[in-house]
Amino acid sequence: MSSTAMKKKVLLMGKSGSGKTSMRSIIFANYIARDTRRLGATIDVEHSHVRFLGNLVLNLWDCGGQDTFMENYFTSQRDNIFRNVEVLIYVFDVESRELDKDMHYYQSCLEAILQNSPDAKVFCLVHKMDLVQEDQRDVIFKERGEDLKRLSRPLSCVCFRTSIWDETLYKAWSSIVYQLIPNVQQLESNLRNFAQIIEADEVLLFERATFLVISHYQCREQRDAHRFEKISNIIKQFKLSCSKLAASFQSMEVRNSNFAAFIDVFTSNTYVMVIMSDPSIPSAATLINIRNARKHFEKLERVDGPKHSLHMRMH
Amino acid sequence: MEDDWKPLLASERTGEAYTDRGVMDSLDPKSKRPFHVEPRNIVEDDVPERVSAEASVMSSRVHYYSRLTGSSDRLLVPPDHVIPAPEEIYVYSPLGTAFKVQGGEGSVKNPSIVTIFAIWNTMMGTAILSMPWSIKQAGFTLGIIILISMGLLTLYCCYRVLKSPKSIQYTDTSDWEFPDVCKYYFGTFGQWSSLLFSMVSLIGAMVVYWVLMSNFLFNTGKFIYNYAHNVSMSDSEYGTNGTERVICPFPNENPGSNCSLRMFYLSDNGTGTALFDHWWSKTNTVPFYLIILLLPLLNFRSASFFARFTFLGTISVVYLIFLVTLKAFRLGFHLEFHWFDSTKFFVPEFRLLFPQLTGVLTLAFFIHNCIITLMKSNKHQQNNVRDLSIAYLLVGLTYLYVGVLIFGSFPSPPLSKDCIEPNFLDNFPSSDVLVFVARAFLLFQMTTVYPLLGYLVRVQMMGQIFGKHYPGFFHVFTLNVFIVAAGVLMAKFYPNIGSIIRYSGALCGLALVFVFPSVIHMISLRRLGELRWPSALFHSFLILLGVANLLGQFFM
Repeated sequence: MSSTAMKKKVLLMGKSGSGKTSMRSIIFANYIARDTRRLGATIDVEHSHVRFLGNLVLNLWDCGGQDTFMENYFTSQRDNIFRNVEVLIYVFDVESRELDKDMHYYQSCLEAILQNSPDAKVFCLVHKMDLVQEDQRDVIFKERGEDLKRLSRPLSCVCFRTSIWDETLYKAWSSIVYQLIPNVQQLESNLRNFAQIIEADEVLLFERATFLVISHYQCREQRDAHRFEKISNIIKQFKLSCSKLAASFQSMEVRNSNFAAFIDVFTSNTYVMVIMSDPSIPSAATLINIRNARKHFEKLERVDGPKHSLHMRMH
Repeated sequence: MEDDWKPLLASERTGEAYTDRGVMDSLDPKSKRPFHVEPRNIVEDDVPERVSAEASVMSSRVHYYSRLTGSSDRLLVPPDHVIPAPEEIYVYSPLGTAFKVQGGEGSVKNPSIVTIFAIWNTMMGTAILSMPWSIKQAGFTLGIIILISMGLLTLYCCYRVLKSPKSIQYTDTSDWEFPDVCKYYFGTFGQWSSLLFSMVSLIGAMVVYWVLMSNFLFNTGKFIYNYAHNVSMSDSEYGTNGTERVICPFPNENPGSNCSLRMFYLSDNGTGTALFDHWWSKTNTVPFYLIILLLPLLNFRSASFFARFTFLGTISVVYLIFLVTLKAFRLGFHLEFHWFDSTKFFVPEFRLLFPQLTGVLTLAFFIHNCIITLMKSNKHQQNNVRDLSIAYLLVGLTYLYVGVLIFGSFPSPPLSKDCIEPNFLDNFPSSDVLVFVARAFLLFQMTTVYPLLGYLVRVQMMGQIFGKHYPGFFHVFTLNVFIVAAGVLMAKFYPNIGSIIRYSGALCGLALVFVFPSVIHMISLRRLGELRWPSALFHSFLILLGVANLLGQFFM
């Protein structure tokens, strides 16, 4: 495959004000500068030059702006926008008062997908769930989910309920990424073997750009259920600091008398985090193990390469 | 991939080699991990808790999100409903100790018993003085039945009012009161009409207060004058003989007459106190003397001074209960049951004048304009309905107790039950010491509540019309003059507090008790598609009852 192969897109769409920019900023650690937060609809597609799961490029679109200019642009550029789409992530604002209009725009997006990229995977996020009272959340999400599934036929969509103020956003995006990785079960079993061989307490596999947890293995129960999101947040903050110095984050080792943790590049799309609770094992030993495993996992990713739509490139 | 990689983070201490042994104590034991405070370092009275997992991850999120936007950007700032409750927030000092945040003024939580007492205290009003008269107007048996039914009915409507903000989705209704709910459902019409009807109840109460205060001031003055001049009044009024004297101020009334309009007249007692009676008259002069006392108090800018005296209301009710018990004990019971016909001394058990009782009870059980605020400070919100029901039960029992005891112990062989006055204290002569104490005490208590009511009227009216609570001395003074004038006119020409209470009660109850809660409930059910015809029928029936209640005041 030539390196100038058409880049596959991840479309992040939804009504203006549904929370897409915030979501993208949080997941991809993009700084939101003041001027990019516009009050009107997105006119131009917002490319983020982030390699997301291989060759995917994230495009952010506002759907259904009030502006007729926006509408015309959308309809005339439609085929261009919806071609080569790998994933469509559609964001619904749970507070929206115009449910019918939202569904209408969603359906027109689905039509365009069906015409231009019929193999695309569709995910629906019911967002801003923190604004709904706790006892009503399940009911409302169930209702919306059923409506969306019904409307999406013949395409199948997966629905998540999300809010940037709890763990649901991170978990939803982790699930999305999980479903996009080819042969992920094989990856998981290999990860388990790897962890047992090197006698690690826990091994995590992160997606490279977003530090979303793709897969993990733990040999015993851990106390903090939110540790994945916290680690992701910490590393993304660190990446932001690094980028200010025009440096890029490559690896990290954290060690004290109780544990040693290693975060390092793993495959071209992933990072690995290894946690050893036996501090007597020297760092160099673990690092060598990780290096050797790297080659093995790269081979795994490359094996099914041409057959799958996610193209992995060798360095 | 084969390159030797260097750790991105060089060792912090210069000269320290990166050892392979791995047992490096690079962390000073005293330095803490971020967001971890040892329990022994938390300074508070209760047993310290560790930071909860939710708070910990929320802190991590907030730290991260704050890096994504500019510091003045409010895009990713946590909204109020997402921040943990004040009880879970600790303030850190750099030395590693943490203090618990004291709850703000809005988070005062009361146990159920305090809430129940607050509701009882707020509901107990001047209607307690009219209970015996209203029961008499409806007939004894019918009166008791109606009292219980009205209590249940108004309780149900109050429950509807309490639940009305909960059915509003997608909006934060945590600081809404019932007029805000009306505004949400009915727009500006709802806002203004709920304000108007609320004003009716408040101004009605203020007029009743003026009439009562004139009455009590008059009687107090008379008692003091008679005591000072050793004048005996026992022959001048028609009443019982003996130690426990009960009087019938207007014995010329036909028993069973439908006319409730009473004309006051000066009684000529021929004991040489004509000059005093001329200048100290219940209707002609005393209401005007009150202006000098109360109009200045109304013009105070803030009513917080008067709010301190709310405990007087409780004491006066308790004293009234004690007084009633004592009188009943001394007078004994005089009850005869004549079901439908009236006799010389007794009234029928079922009378057509019962709408007068329902009107009075609507105001007696009225708390619908502030129940949401009162219940907000209940510690266990899940017990709100139970506590409301208990409060209504206690209020109903209090009213029932006072009404039944006075009615039952009214000495009927010499006097007719029809003699029971709308203010039952009027049935006792001004020379009665215990009742004098009650009157003087109530006078003092009402003097402290009257400016509070005036303040409430001012805040609501000025706030809606001018946008500010105190637009200017002239505006406020004009409003106060109008309110006082209404009171004075009523005291002079129509001092029947029973009628004032029943008309204002039925009027404001129509909107705030019967119509708005039912209509709002039906609309909210219809929006969810859950309105069933039995519910619609029942609530429409409630609306009809409200209208009938109001119409009944005019025709009966």
